[in-house]
Amino acid sequence: MKSFALRDLIDDRPQDGVFRVNRALFRDQALFELEMKHIFEGGWVFVGMATQAENPHDYFTSFIGRVPIIVQRDGEGTLRCFVNACPHKGVRLVQKLCGSARRHVCPYHSWTFDSTGANKNIKWQKAGRYAPGFDEDNHDLAPVARFGEYRGFLFASLNADVPSLEAYLGEARKLMDLVVDKSPEGVELVPGRVTFTYAANWKMQLENCSDQYHFTSTHPSYIRILDQRAREQVDEVVQSSIGAADFWQEDAAGVTGGTMSFDHGHVLNWGVMPVSAALPEFERVEELTKRLGVAKRNWMFNMRNLTIFPNLQLADNASSQMRVIRPIAAGMTEMQTWCIAPRGESAEARRFRIRQYEDFFNPTGMATPDDTVCYEEAQLGMAEQDRPWLQGHARGLTASVEGGNEWSDRIGLKPARSVLADAQLCDESLFGSYYRAWRERMKEVLA
Amino acid sequence: MSSMTAAEAASFLSREALYLDRFDFDSWLALYTPDCRFWMPAWRDDGTQTEDPDRELSLIFYRGRRNLEDRVQRIRSGFSVASAVMPRVAHMIGNVLVEPAGEGRVRVDSSFISNVHDVRTNRSHSYFGRYEHELVLDGAEWKIASKIIRLMNDVVPTMLDVYGV
Repeated sequence: MKSFALRDLIDDRPQDGVFRVNRALFRDQALFELEMKHIFEGGWVFVGMATQAENPHDYFTSFIGRVPIIVQRDGEGTLRCFVNACPHKGVRLVQKLCGSARRHVCPYHSWTFDSTGANKNIKWQKAGRYAPGFDEDNHDLAPVARFGEYRGFLFASLNADVPSLEAYLGEARKLMDLVVDKSPEGVELVPGRVTFTYAANWKMQLENCSDQYHFTSTHPSYIRILDQRAREQVDEVVQSSIGAADFWQEDAAGVTGGTMSFDHGHVLNWGVMPVSAALPEFERVEELTKRLGVAKRNWMFNMRNLTIFPNLQLADNASSQMRVIRPIAAGMTEMQTWCIAPRGESAEARRFRIRQYEDFFNPTGMATPDDTVCYEEAQLGMAEQDRPWLQGHARGLTASVEGGNEWSDRIGLKPARSVLADAQLCDESLFGSYYRAWRERMKEVLA
Repeated sequence: MSSMTAAEAASFLSREALYLDRFDFDSWLALYTPDCRFWMPAWRDDGTQTEDPDRELSLIFYRGRRNLEDRVQRIRSGFSVASAVMPRVAHMIGNVLVEPAGEGRVRVDSSFISNVHDVRTNRSHSYFGRYEHELVLDGAEWKIASKIIRLMNDVVPTMLDVYGV
């Protein structure tokens, strides 16, 4: 294995106006193993929504990095997160994606656990001639080192040595608030999960969510259909929110949006969208104004693609999506995706949200396939070694300023850096935030 | 002829599959009624599919052939990289059962395998599941009023378009 030095992987020289990332970050399987250990299994990652285990004894299963986990609510309503493996032989205890159970019985030797994770039975223990040391061992399910919730979003860490969840999310919490506060009852996942894979590195998805530059290049076939539908206004065709906005059009005037970066690798890409009936949220406009004020309400209608590093993305543009990135290998990624929606919205608004979602976000729709194919084509190009440095992280460098701007000030949001953009600026310097967080996690293992 | 034999239904489904395999989208669209439903539900959990497309997510849901025409337009546009190198597709349909569903209307259940070879990446994948067609008599011709595609292996590698299932 070729070992890398950090400076050979991320070339970060702000004084020289240089920020470059080595292709090896996308292609190298040894680096991937380090990412799994030190990023996904070494710090806070998103594991799911509290609403996925809403009632007493409900649970759902997932993974933190390569480790299977179960998120379980007990009879009193307390949520916990355990490694989903029987302490006996390491067998994955629960196989279902979700369900409700007071007891989990291991399928292999019937060790039994209650919904607090406590071991309730070791089959034929008394007859088992165990040595005294065995009785002194803890036979409960292993809780993850840290587990926390922010407004229904559940995060866990297999490493105890991490900042508090509040400190980790930091200012990005205010952007999560804009998702949750769409309804006084909060948000829920629309039933029906969609999972797809692509043969490329997980960071392609990480970047694409924050990549305003690609939209008109990658999705012209979809944009043409939006234009056509907007002209015809036929009832039976799926209408679109994004078609009614102009932040992405090359001839749009003035500030059309921008980017913000936060500590720990969280970033926002945003675009100005009018407060209009083109968004399903419009049915609540009066209630939103009253409850949140004009500034927050206006921000709620803006296009906002938020990444909580390393694996959660909340996209509010054409409909609203929650994505969870699950890296499988350096060149393979699984995406778990849901429509995330305000609770209690009208049947009409929900239908509108779902129809837009399917057309835009699904791997069976008209936009995401053009993204995932580009990720795979990029992965092929990552094989180049003679010129290792990518040129995809330099755009916007001279527009990036420390702190926020008048737009973030309106809702008291304090990013670490920000770019205020016209329609053609399409900042790529915000990706630097991902790679600085990456470097921070990897600095102890890469010289 | 207000009903259909199993052989006639199998022949109808085979013709639809042939049009898709050949990317003969005009002939394919002509099989559908203008107000048709085209629906591929998502999976809610391990074992159940979404049932109410207005309250739950689908992989694809359209009411109205116009939406399928949009899909075809995108495929043909020359502006979709996912459609630039078209995969090669061969459908296999079997286990065809016909039930009458009123005057001039039948319900047809079948199983499908859609073998898709992605030429761009040299990867092959078989999608499989069940179709539920509702066919209606339009003059002397049967048309598709509703098609439900129950996709069993729903973890999609990279992308899946209307011709692939």
